[in-house]
Parts: sequence; C-alpha cells; structure tokens
Amino acid sequence: MGPDEFRGPMTQSPAVAVDDQANTAILVRDLHKRFGETEVLKGVSLTARDGDVISLIGSSGSGKSTLLRCINLLETPDEGQVWVNGELIRMGRDRRGQAVPADRRQVDRIRQRLGMVFQGFNLWTHMTVLENVIEAPVHVLGVPRPEAVDRAKALLDKVGLSQRQDYYPSQLSGGQQQRAAIARMMAMQPRVMLFDEPTSALDPELVGEVLRVIRQLADEGATMLIVTHEMAFARDVSSHVLFLHQGRVEEEGTPDEVFGNPRSERCRQFLARRA
Amino acid sequence: MLDLLGFGGRGWGLQLLQGMGMTVLVAVSAYLWGLLLGGMAATLKLSGHRGGRVAADVYTTIVRGVPSLLVIYLLFFGGNSAATWVATLLGFNGPVELSALPVGILAVGTVSGAYSAEVLRGGALAVPHGQVEAAKALGMGRWLTFRRVLLPQTLRYALPGLGNVWQLTLKDTSLVSVVALVELMRVAYLAQGATRQPFLFFTTAGLLYLGLAGLSGRLFARAEVWAGRGVRRAAR
Repeated sequence: MGPDEFRGPMTQSPAVAVDDQANTAILVRDLHKRFGETEVLKGVSLTARDGDVISLIGSSGSGKSTLLRCINLLETPDEGQVWVNGELIRMGRDRRGQAVPADRRQVDRIRQRLGMVFQGFNLWTHMTVLENVIEAPVHVLGVPRPEAVDRAKALLDKVGLSQRQDYYPSQLSGGQQQRAAIARMMAMQPRVMLFDEPTSALDPELVGEVLRVIRQLADEGATMLIVTHEMAFARDVSSHVLFLHQGRVEEEGTPDEVFGNPRSERCRQFLARRA
Repeated sequence: MLDLLGFGGRGWGLQLLQGMGMTVLVAVSAYLWGLLLGGMAATLKLSGHRGGRVAADVYTTIVRGVPSLLVIYLLFFGGNSAATWVATLLGFNGPVELSALPVGILAVGTVSGAYSAEVLRGGALAVPHGQVEAAKALGMGRWLTFRRVLLPQTLRYALPGLGNVWQLTLKDTSLVSVVALVELMRVAYLAQGATRQPFLFFTTAGLLYLGLAGLSGRLFARAEVWAGRGVRRAAR
C-alpha cells in the first residue's frame, strides 16, 4: 500500500498537546480493535510515564495482549491514537477503509524505541544467540560489528548467558531462550519495554530466572508494560496495575489498590480465582 | 569399440565433454533464471496484491500444465516469427533466426521457475510468523526482514524441493536438442548416427547425466546442512 492510497488522516494531530507529555513514554487514547465481528478492544486509554512499570492483568480474551501489540503496531488499531515519547503514530485508511499506518518508516523508527519480548521468545532459529543480539543494532542502527559484539556480550553476561553466546536457540532451555530474547531487545536500548506474557510458555521451574531478569531491569528504572499472569510478580514489581475485562479497563491503580482493595466486583473475582 | 569414446581420431570424447559443458551451462543458467522468476512469482502469490497474485497463478498453472517441449517450441519458433515480424517493421528483409542458446535457457528456465515458485511459496509459508514479528518489533524494515530473516529460513524449508527442481531442470535441457543446440543429448544422437552404435552412446550419455545429477545432489545435500544450521543440531 503506497502512501497515495489512503484517504486522509484518521486522526488529526491535536492543535494543543494532549496533556503535558514531557515525561510521557506511552500515551494511548480510546483504542479500538476488531478481529472480524469481535471487538477485542472497546476504547482503552493508558498513560505510561518514564520509569513506570505497568502490569496488564485480566483473563485470556480480555484484550491485554492485543493492547500491547497495538502499541508497536504489530496489530493495527481500528480507532484511537498512540503516542510514543510524545510522537503520534499517524494512521490512515486504505481503499477498503481498513486502518493502516500512514508512514511505514515512522512505524519502523518508533519500533526501534519500543522493545518487545514475546511469549514464544521468537529468537531467530538460524542465528546463534550472539548473532540474534547484534542483528538489529548492526543492520538497523548501523553500529560497527565489533562494538555491537562487545555490547551484546555485556548484555548476555547481565542475563546470565555469557557461556551460551555461540549456541543456537534450539540448544537452549525455554528460560535461557527468553533471557536471550530479553538481551536482544535490550541491545536496541529501547525507551520502553513491552513484555507479552514473557513466562507463560515456560516450565514452572524456569519462570523464576526470567522474572529475576525483568525485575532487575525494573529496579534499574526501565519503563515497562508487562502483560502477565504472575500476580505475585505483578504486585511486587509494578508501579501501576491495569485490570482489563472484555476489552475495557475495568480497574486501575497502584498494586496495593488493585490487589489489596479492588473496587470492581469482576476484578475481585478474577483475583480470587488467581489466589 | 571403446575408442569411439576416446579422444583419438575416431573418438567422440571431446564432443561429448563439450556437449556436457553445454548441458551444464544451459542447466545452471536456466535454473538461476528460474529461481529469479520463481522468487518473483512466489512473492506475488504471497502478496496482498490481487493482480500480481492472479498473474503469478496464471504463469505457474499454464507452464506446469503444458509439456516443456511445447514451451521450447513456442519460445523458439514463436520467437523467431516475432523477431522476423519486428525486423520487417524496421525495414530488414528475410527471416530472422534467434540463437538457440539464449532461447533454450529462457525456455527451460521459464519451466523451472514455475516449479520453483511453488516450492519457494511453500517454504515461505512454513516459516513461523513469530520469526518475522520479532524482526518487525526491532524496527527492521521490510527489505531487511526479508533478506536477513525470511529468505534464509524459507531456503531451509525449500531446499529439498529446490534440489528436486534442479534435477528436473538438468534433464529438461535435453529437450533443447530439438532446436539444434549441441548439448550432451544432441552429441550422443549425432555420434550414434555416425557410428551406428546407439547403445554405446546413449548409455554413455545416460551415465554422464547420472554423474552430473549425483554430483549436484551432493552439493544440495551440503547446502541443506548449511541452511538447516541451528535446527539439525537440535536433533541430538
């Protein structure tokens, strides 16, 4: 789809800035997403300031993963706006009226600032761990290879994989693969990290090693959005918690508010089932 | 009798070797041309662009559905009459005859490409979507994602099938002998006609084809190991 194919902006840049975005890492406004007949997101808004660690919780199908994937445009929101570090992701419509990014290059650029960790790791299977980690810095950012290798080694050391840099993903355990994927994400020095159920595909005994790495990043001041089913972890590591239910934010607040004294009945029930 | 295969006065050895060289030249060129055509057709088939998809489907359906020999006749004789017509328009007289080598490569490659297209398409579809999503999420553009992630992984899945297409292409080059290109098959035919030893020369040609197929099969096997790096080792 060329830029000539869309009919005009779906969302106008507002003449006045939305709120004060000085320290705002992510701002999501009234996001809607439909898969066929099913509306998965029914108007979700979210603000993440620099240094925030926001956990998104809710039962499966509540839209939390879709929300995360809309922020870096792995899914295209049908309506609503996303700002990353104060920059609005410009959207348009194609011939059939489907929402599409107005400028692919802008999307690529913004994705460089948004690290993403997937439930299924998604390490490139034809590359070693080290090659996985240096790939984007070398080919996207143009970092000289020796420098990228040095930085990658430091990152792999940090996630406890310095002995595994020349292994292929298939030779690693799930926990090791996920830690390598975190190193790959960090190699781009993202301003915001998106974690999409990072421990859901792991054997129970491997969950801890991955959560420890994420916690360490949070302690170092990283800005994070985490979709998770690990309630104890969410309560412990987050600055804010959002409970999503059927495509809406049903409850939000500090971990103590949401976990300690939920106002909505649905959130109370959800947490009771999880406890 | 075996001196007929030698390099002496009555021997056809040199011609056979030259014919084999021509066969390799046609096969390799046609195969590469086919990979290019097939790669483009596979890309179009997988693209969201409707017109491109239809064009690629028409190409693979027709070319795979008619005999290779027909494609060669069509391009060679059809090409000759088209060239003659163009020459007449430009004021030149007399029939124009296209050179058999480029037309042969074009024809065999066009057939080869139709098969490669399907193999490459299947290979690309076998790549898990998460592999591409990871590249997107890191800000890699379309071309970079294709070159660094999608293509190498597509080859891993497509190489066994592409090896198959190579063998078909190698054998299809023998059909080009009908337009008088002197490749291995043509040399064998001429030699047996001149010496009245059909069994000797067709057997020899067959063994030479088998030799080429065996050698290239080993190259493909090595390529498969390379393309499967990271996966083969997992089969501990």
